[in-house]
Amino acid sequence: MSQYKIIFTGPVGAGKTTAISSISDAPPVKTDAAASDMTKNRKSSTTVAMDYGVMNLEGGEKIHLYGTPGQERFDFMWDILTNGGIGLVLLLDNTRADPFQDMRFFLEAFDKFIANTAVAIGVTQMDVSSKPSITEYHQQLQTLGLKPPVFSVDAREHNDVSLLVQSLLYSLDPGLVGE
Amino acid sequence: MKKQGPVSIKVALYGMDPRSHKTMELYLKGPCRGIAEVVPEEDAEIDIIDADFATAGEILETRRQQTPERPILLLSLEFLKIENTYFVQKPVKAEQLTTVLSKIVSSKKPKQLIEPEQPVTTLGESPAAIQDAIPQENTDTANPLPKATKSRKTFANNEGGYTAFLGTLSDIDFSDPEQLRRASFDAKSHLLGYVLSAFKVACRQGKAQQLNSIWKPILIFPDTRQIWLDADDKQLRVFAGIEQNHTFAGKISLLPVDAAISKIGLAADKFQDIDVFIWKLTIWTSKGRFPASINLQQSVYLKHWPNFTRLLLTPDAMRIAALLLKDPRTPLQLANLLNIKPQYVFAFISACNSLDILGQCQRSADFMVVPEVPKPSKKQNLFSKILNKLRGD
Repeated sequence: MSQYKIIFTGPVGAGKTTAISSISDAPPVKTDAAASDMTKNRKSSTTVAMDYGVMNLEGGEKIHLYGTPGQERFDFMWDILTNGGIGLVLLLDNTRADPFQDMRFFLEAFDKFIANTAVAIGVTQMDVSSKPSITEYHQQLQTLGLKPPVFSVDAREHNDVSLLVQSLLYSLDPGLVGE
Repeated sequence: MKKQGPVSIKVALYGMDPRSHKTMELYLKGPCRGIAEVVPEEDAEIDIIDADFATAGEILETRRQQTPERPILLLSLEFLKIENTYFVQKPVKAEQLTTVLSKIVSSKKPKQLIEPEQPVTTLGESPAAIQDAIPQENTDTANPLPKATKSRKTFANNEGGYTAFLGTLSDIDFSDPEQLRRASFDAKSHLLGYVLSAFKVACRQGKAQQLNSIWKPILIFPDTRQIWLDADDKQLRVFAGIEQNHTFAGKISLLPVDAAISKIGLAADKFQDIDVFIWKLTIWTSKGRFPASINLQQSVYLKHWPNFTRLLLTPDAMRIAALLLKDPRTPLQLANLLNIKPQYVFAFISACNSLDILGQCQRSADFMVVPEVPKPSKKQNLFSKILNKLRGD
């Protein structure tokens, strides 16, 4: 049986681990370690390998949910992770110094994967920092020639993460119909 | 090992379109752990009615006449208190639904889950009629509604799961000018038009405004992109749908106010994001009709995705958005390609139009070529399973 996966990426603290937990059927396998570098300013522990969750589908199929480590020094893993992926969920933390730079970095890093699949962007922490607005994200994306879904997301909310992944699926196939 | 009991309760579903019907069927099997199974109406022990459906009132009366002994469970976004019925508020939670179904089975004859304080309600045809018949003072006691700023949580949470405000139009013959006229609405004849106009003035002047009418004042704060209105969604929904006459227009006024002073003493939970407010106000004004300013013969395009996690989801909204972002299309092409009711497309394009994220193609080049129909993905079956999983959880 084929192995399918959805990749969750984004900078440190954007909520990748939490988002995977929100929709995974099994408690996600976390590979967090105490933060010892610049990351410790944002959170006490961070993902150093990858997070893994799973969604069990009707008929026995599984969708594997992989979260990339946020730190750029682990980017060598990203190509391996995306192999066989059906799409990318990019989470951005709106409280970071330059979320647009983060967005451009990850869109560029995964550009080939996105070109072959699709991306959906979730902006977290908008309740803490409402700027930049979702409209401003779209304006930035327009300069890159992209029109992906961009939603405000609370990674702890199943519904937010669910809708984000649903938008990814509809981006891949607008004719898609649930049963 | 998931089954809770040896025998499933046999239920029949009413007032649900095929998708909602299937979703509920899967929900009973999955998250509700098979407590009930959907059967034909003649075999059912309990009738479950979506009370937000346009003809829910008629359905309820019919079920009462045809099977007077059979318990009836109503599902609704709004708190309902109708004699000799059971009630579960939407979005339905598995635990809540399971509990109520178990209670119904354990009682020998229909008994009210909520004791009525009012005489028996006679239902009209529309969900609004159902809700208008219900006392609202204590609606938050049994099932507290979230704050207005979290209004999305009071609605169905998945794309495709909400039909409460649509379906008032019967099938439209688009070649009949009279039917076409009735399928459109003019925002200027509704509260919506005044709100949109007031918001533009507020933004242009960079100053808070108070919109006065025969109804409650609406305060608009362009700096924080918020509005303040001392009314709940039910009241707003009713007022949104009323076509305004000259008396209303005569009472309208717009006054600049000092934002800092105006905010003092205002209830914090009455502030709403302006986009969220305009979106739902438009949908409740549209009621499945299209804006008169949109020419149905011309293609429309979407500038970008709406922020769906914070907006009232209309049926098939995500599918419409995804398709429109691929290519501009006429509203009727969208309905045909997606095989959905035109009303769903109309509600969606109305809301996008109000938020100014929808445009109408004007260039002749846009009408030269009919956009290709997107090919279904080879993984469509897999994607459908993921979709069902996400919606079912």
